[in-house]
Amino acid sequence: MNVPLNIDWQQILLHLLNFVILFAILNFLLYNPVKKFMDKRFEYYKGIDDEAKKNLQQAEEMKKKYAEKLHSADSEIEEKRQASNKALSEKAAQSMILAKQEADKIISEAYKKAKNERNIIISEAQDEITDMVTRATEKIILESGVSESYEQFLTAVERSNENE
Amino acid sequence: MDKKKRTTGIVAFAILALILMIGTIIVKSPGSHESIRELMRDAVLHNTNKISLFGLKDVNPGLISAVTVTGILFVIALIIRIFVIPKFKMIPGKLQLILETLVGFFDNLAKSNSPHCNKFLGAYVFAAGVYIFVGTILELFGIQVVTTHGTSMVLPAPLADINGAIMIGCLSYLVILSGGIAENKLKGVGKTLKEFSLPISMSFRLFGALLSGALVTELVYHYIHLSYGLPVLVGVLFTLLHALIQAYVLTMLTSLFYGEVTEPAHEKK
Repeated sequence: MNVPLNIDWQQILLHLLNFVILFAILNFLLYNPVKKFMDKRFEYYKGIDDEAKKNLQQAEEMKKKYAEKLHSADSEIEEKRQASNKALSEKAAQSMILAKQEADKIISEAYKKAKNERNIIISEAQDEITDMVTRATEKIILESGVSESYEQFLTAVERSNENE
Repeated sequence: MDKKKRTTGIVAFAILALILMIGTIIVKSPGSHESIRELMRDAVLHNTNKISLFGLKDVNPGLISAVTVTGILFVIALIIRIFVIPKFKMIPGKLQLILETLVGFFDNLAKSNSPHCNKFLGAYVFAAGVYIFVGTILELFGIQVVTTHGTSMVLPAPLADINGAIMIGCLSYLVILSGGIAENKLKGVGKTLKEFSLPISMSFRLFGALLSGALVTELVYHYIHLSYGLPVLVGVLFTLLHALIQAYVLTMLTSLFYGEVTEPAHEKK
């Protein structure tokens, strides 16, 4: 049978064999080694990129964490300030109470002392007055010799003692 | 001083070019034993010029080109593997950058078109792309071989041979089919068989593109008055351009269809 264009099946197979050999050579010697190297380099740079992304993420997390810490430190400081203010106020109030008690005590003692001194003074004054009156009466009696007047005087002294 | 040197160089180059041009007109060519019609017919059908494959069989020149391309690529790949790849650095140098761009391009092509299953596809499109590109620019080097008739001829692009083009088209289709089976079992087979015209279209697109390039180049070189200046455009720029385009088109189509058949089937709600 005459095949158009002189197509030769045997030569087609020879072409195929030739191409298969060429495919194996190119694949083994060129394509695979170059592609392997390119893939290796891609993985290398991808690794660096991933590492950088990871570090960036860690830095972001740390930043966030520190911001939160800073925020909580502010509120902690505020709480402590309030607590110390409260403690200070309590202490001041307690000191004032103590001071007042002390003052009351001092006043009370002073009052007691003053009262004692007054009593002593009054008692001394009474003694002096009694002395003076006695002397004056003795003098009057001695001068007038009236027993009635003496009686009246004694009555007056007794009354004044009662009044006190 | 530098300007004077440069001017002298340009003048010398112009004189040399003129002498060579005159020489090509004065010196008579022995003449081709083939007419342009025979030449072009043979470029399509390959029934005149055959080359012996290691004394085993007379084959089309395209097959010899294919073997030559494999040999060249093997040597280059071996040198790169032994001397360049072990010295790869994290910050690439020029050669490393070229290799990484090449591998990265085909790897990305596979990954972007077939996100679910692309390991084998990446290796396949890399090999196919490099084979088509290097095979096509092989024309530029004008490697001479002796035919079975004892005449010499320039090695054509391997894919300008219909057998080579059919091989790469059908192999791409088989790769797509294997991807479909691996990912979607019977559904994958169904999806691939739906595109039954794919191996034919891919084969003949490649064959047509490379053959037309070869024919135009052959035409240009055949006539002496077209041989001044024009080969720089036709021979070099066009060959480079269609080497790139054909390599891209086949690898892109293979990746696209591979991605389509390996896409996981969505369950109906």
